Amino acid sequence: MSDDKSLDATMSGFAARAEGEGALDTSGAAGLAYFGRFGVDEAMLRAAFDRALAHGADWAELYFEHNVSHHLGLEDGAVNRAYASVTLGVGVRVVKGDQQGYAYTEELTRDAVTQAAATAALVANGPSRDAPQAFAVQTLPSRYRMRLPFGDVGVAEKMPILSRINELAFAATPELVKVQVGFADSSGVVLVVESTGRMSFDRQPMARLSVSCTAERGGRRESAGANLAGREGFEFFSDARVGKVTDEAVQRTMFLFDATVAPAGTMPVVLAAGSAGILLHEAIGHGMEADFNRKGTSVYSDKLNQRIAPDDITIVDDGTIEAQRGAINVDDEGVVAQRTVLVENGILRTYMHDRISALHYGVEPTGNGRRESFRHAPLPRMRSTYMEAGSRDPEEIVRSVKRGIYAESFTNGQVMIGAGDFTFYIKTGYLIEDGKKTRPIKDTNIIGNGPDVLTKTDMVGNDFAFDDGGWTCGKDGQSVPVSLGMPTVRVSEITVGGVNES
Amino acid sequence: MDELLRAAHEAAKQAQACGADEAKAAVVRSRGVDLEWRDGKLEKVQERTRRALSIELYVDGRYGASSTNDLRPEAVGPFIADAVAMTRLLEPDPHRALPDPARYGGRADVDLDLFDPAVNEVSSEERLALCRDLEVMARDGAGDLPVVSVATGVGDGFSQSARVHTNGFEGAREGSSFSFSAMVTVKDVDGRRPMGWDFTYRRHRADLAPAERIARVAREKAAAQLGAGKLATGKYTIAVDSRAVPRLISAFLAPLSGPSLQQRRSLWEGRLGEKVASELLTIYDDPLLPRGLGSALWDGDGFATRRRPLVEQGVLCTYLIDDYYARKMGVEPTGADTHNFEWTLGTDDLEGLVRDVGCGVLIERFLGGNTNQTTGELSFGCAGRVIRDGKLAEPVAEVNLSGNLATLWGRLVAVGNDPNPDSSAACPSCVFEGMQLSGI
Repeated sequence: MSDDKSLDATMSGFAARAEGEGALDTSGAAGLAYFGRFGVDEAMLRAAFDRALAHGADWAELYFEHNVSHHLGLEDGAVNRAYASVTLGVGVRVVKGDQQGYAYTEELTRDAVTQAAATAALVANGPSRDAPQAFAVQTLPSRYRMRLPFGDVGVAEKMPILSRINELAFAATPELVKVQVGFADSSGVVLVVESTGRMSFDRQPMARLSVSCTAERGGRRESAGANLAGREGFEFFSDARVGKVTDEAVQRTMFLFDATVAPAGTMPVVLAAGSAGILLHEAIGHGMEADFNRKGTSVYSDKLNQRIAPDDITIVDDGTIEAQRGAINVDDEGVVAQRTVLVENGILRTYMHDRISALHYGVEPTGNGRRESFRHAPLPRMRSTYMEAGSRDPEEIVRSVKRGIYAESFTNGQVMIGAGDFTFYIKTGYLIEDGKKTRPIKDTNIIGNGPDVLTKTDMVGNDFAFDDGGWTCGKDGQSVPVSLGMPTVRVSEITVGGVNES
Repeated sequence: MDELLRAAHEAAKQAQACGADEAKAAVVRSRGVDLEWRDGKLEKVQERTRRALSIELYVDGRYGASSTNDLRPEAVGPFIADAVAMTRLLEPDPHRALPDPARYGGRADVDLDLFDPAVNEVSSEERLALCRDLEVMARDGAGDLPVVSVATGVGDGFSQSARVHTNGFEGAREGSSFSFSAMVTVKDVDGRRPMGWDFTYRRHRADLAPAERIARVAREKAAAQLGAGKLATGKYTIAVDSRAVPRLISAFLAPLSGPSLQQRRSLWEGRLGEKVASELLTIYDDPLLPRGLGSALWDGDGFATRRRPLVEQGVLCTYLIDDYYARKMGVEPTGADTHNFEWTLGTDDLEGLVRDVGCGVLIERFLGGNTNQTTGELSFGCAGRVIRDGKLAEPVAEVNLSGNLATLWGRLVAVGNDPNPDSSAACPSCVFEGMQLSGI
């Protein structure tokens, strides 16, 4: 069940500080200059495309990436562990119709890059095409905040933030026995070069803060946590955010002592505004990623332009919200990310596309072509997925429920794309009895079917909120950062995986 | 391999030259190819070639770790120097130290046979042919089955790693892996498109399951989901298919870890030597299984591994505490890693278990959900088949299993004779009684 336990390379990073980091310079000269330090130049690009297009590919792309990230951890009162990681490499993709060849190398020499291109090119089988001779850069929007780039901030400046959270948490309640704090920053730099000669250069920061607590009361113990994330520099770690994430972690932990597991069975569920966006992500988001539909394996495959939800439901996937964890200036295929309306007043309007699926459907790509790193070919992926506000007063929504549950915080979810069944896990919430929130509940999974739940989402609140948590979405073994948003909604009936008294 | 060991020694030496008192260094290199095939044609071919250097540093009573894949000589020097400088700035941790070298000794003198030279001989034509054949086999015999898509995959590769600690540990190893899979998606009358899939995954090419079986099982699993309905909420006896049991056993074992115990987040705290599960539950961990997917002569601390019981007749035999958390807790380290599980098996296969259940539910897959490691509460989505008169009946979906880890494993009433050879957990099918399932 476990392989060699090695250093935790997932959180960390270091070394090779980005020069001039902070200036959001999207000029191609800057892109080539940045990777020039590792040996990348126009001659290498031309040589790589020569090989990539040697067997009649429709198009090809090179994805250069350099990422430096750090993780600091506080445990038992001390900031006494740090992890750093550096990744560098290029992925070469060669596309023929909807067939792809992919290879990557971590060695940015001309030989290694052309060898990777030659391997990827084997997917095609035809006469060669001309490689681009000139490269031009596209101007990108600016959706990240980077007033204080992480390259300019040392460990000593970060440590007091973790210590402060530890103090605040222990000051909040004498019942706390353990606190762990995680501080993570990442500075990613990507250069996407397409076989049209177009280049996109983007610096993508990420800040993340997580707190977990264990408390003890009357011989019982409970644990819970909270986290926040965004595409910002060091300024992300403001006093307000430090206070908020600490309060959430402590309150959720203490809440659990008064809570019991929910009842089992089918009942109405009210989802609190914000992180309940996990419902959309699982229930319909993945099913609307165009690759599953192109292959006929999504439950939404034949539902385009049909009504799939009540009239007051509009669902959006959006890469443009400034500084959000799910925001991107440009996707990992060089397409500027957009605001994409998936469901408009209940009608399914479009899927989320990457280049391959857009070509298949004869539409423009939507900027959803994302990948975990240069080691992966891009796929249609969500960015920030949310439901727009409706007209109902959230209190009215709770009052409308005779017996059901109110779901307030969530930890994770999953979906089977084809069958449409999905789940999400409620960490904290309340029982609703006669229109009032009563007994606190915890640790309960919800299971439903996407299309079915959409038609049963019959009340939409006017209190839309984004969630600023550190959500990470997994698909085909690739993780990407995403965001969520939701107003308070009522689902008239869904299966609650609780326990009934026997 | 010698080259990797040399690189690890060199990195550790450089760390000490930069001011580290002690260091661990590991170098890994891997290579592999994956093919994805769908509906009559190649969809994606991907080649993976990775390498990385990881170092753990002990500097003035402080601890830090770093990793990089930028192995240019001019980059590695500054990387290590920065890592040491970063570590020096942290708060001290009196429990951080290299493990006692005495624990490195006693390494088993056996050939685990983890590397199959055939990995260097697989041709792209062979991979392509297997992908194509798997699809043909999956579609053959589909009859009237409303198949919308068949996807298959083939992969192979190897990895090599070397690890060095400055107080005397040194080790290098390599392993190969081979796998293939089939996925069949069918369209139900209500528009649902359930998918059935199966795979095989081994160290040696010759040990892979027959392609015909993988293709057939994927098709049968898809067909079995057609017409799925909901289940009435209630308490049931459940049989859990061997492929789904890992979810339940890994949830059971996770709270045994050092961080869970030391951070007071474990329902198993204080339960060592006590009965924590049904006496039918006996699991040994065998790190020395030849060709085992999880086999290893040493663990993450460099300690020599040995076969040992995890749970014997329901009694908890060990925690899984690494060297660092053992120092923090003031106990002896027990080794944090698990390798290959060896269950005490029953006598029936899944069909026999289902017959004995008589009336209940077979859970074939889990979907999402989570556990509370501190209290043991669990709640998982699932799907499977109703068991009626000792036989599999109609499929059910949108079901949820809820309970507590201690209660669940306490109510284990039968263990199958069908351990899954394509997983290091080697789980057999299991039967639990009196479990809460939610549906309508």
